[in-house]
Amino acid sequence: MTGKTFLGRLLVVIPAYNEEASLGRVIANVRQSAPEADVLVINDGSTDRTAEVAETAGARVITLPFNLGIGAAMQTGFLFARDFGYDFAVQVDGDGQHDPREIPDILAPVVAGEADVAAGARYIEDRGYITPGLRRFGIVLLATAISIITRRRVTDPTSGFRASNRKAICFCALHYPSDYPEPESVVLFRQARLKMIEVPVTMNPRYGGQSSITPFRSFYYMVKVFLAILIGLLRRAPRAQEVLDAR
Amino acid sequence: MLDKFSLAILLSAVGVLVIVLELVRQRKLEEGYSLLWLAAGFLLVALPLSRRALDQVAGLFGVAYPPSVLFLVGFMAITLLLLYFSTVITRLNRQNREAAQRLGLLQWRIRELEKKLEEIADR
Repeated sequence: MTGKTFLGRLLVVIPAYNEEASLGRVIANVRQSAPEADVLVINDGSTDRTAEVAETAGARVITLPFNLGIGAAMQTGFLFARDFGYDFAVQVDGDGQHDPREIPDILAPVVAGEADVAAGARYIEDRGYITPGLRRFGIVLLATAISIITRRRVTDPTSGFRASNRKAICFCALHYPSDYPEPESVVLFRQARLKMIEVPVTMNPRYGGQSSITPFRSFYYMVKVFLAILIGLLRRAPRAQEVLDAR
Repeated sequence: MLDKFSLAILLSAVGVLVIVLELVRQRKLEEGYSLLWLAAGFLLVALPLSRRALDQVAGLFGVAYPPSVLFLVGFMAITLLLLYFSTVITRLNRQNREAAQRLGLLQWRIRELEKKLEEIADR
């Protein structure tokens, strides 16, 4: 790959599906908070003007031919980061939920080598983020189960605000789950001996557009994630080192 | 002598076999995918023809009315086929995802190269 000559070291990946309402603001905030970063939007088969908005805001845009789901979109970003030799990748949601001003906070421990993955967590400190009751219950249930399985304290396994180092990038490029990837990936990281830590962050309500969450999907989400995690435990887990060696 | 029920199953199975073979001949169905259909079809033809085999299988499963074994065979065949198709769909889904990801990445590269070419041409 010759990408290294014209691309930087840090990639910010924003998976976006029909996020024209909020994406421009998110990209502007990212560019302000992390001016050294290359911003890559994965336009996941949007039917609105997501791609144009992203390009106008100065991001690189990869458009997928149809909607693949957040995990597969995110994995495309990891493939890009791997192929073009980025040392660090940060993922930020396109809906404005994550505050780009906190990118340096989640990036710092990864750059310092304290962890392979650092995830922004809502619940480590009380910062006034209010989650609707049932969803909060679901997240606590997941967090408890995952904490027991991984024997590490995890408070917000659904957080998609994460920073990864090169090792984690190469791992995720091959093994990132397709849909509802975050909780499952926490367990995968543990099995792959990638060290994940949580960093307290503030999360906002989305800027605009539609959330994809409905009661039925939330239920499906919980069942699917638990099944994926439990069956995942029965598999021989891929090791991050093998992924690096294979290249 | 065949009872009416077994005869109906036999004729249906022959019909299915003919359709499957014809689909394979026209290349509308791949040989690999036709194997399970053919196996089920042959069983449903062979069992009604051999009353002894049918009785033996019925005895094995403790079935009082031997021809209902044909239901059992048909049901198991359909279950196996559906399960098999689920694995095929899963595989196609994964391949489809990887192809779409590569398509997206390649399109981006082509566009970057085109931009570079235009820059060079403008000089």
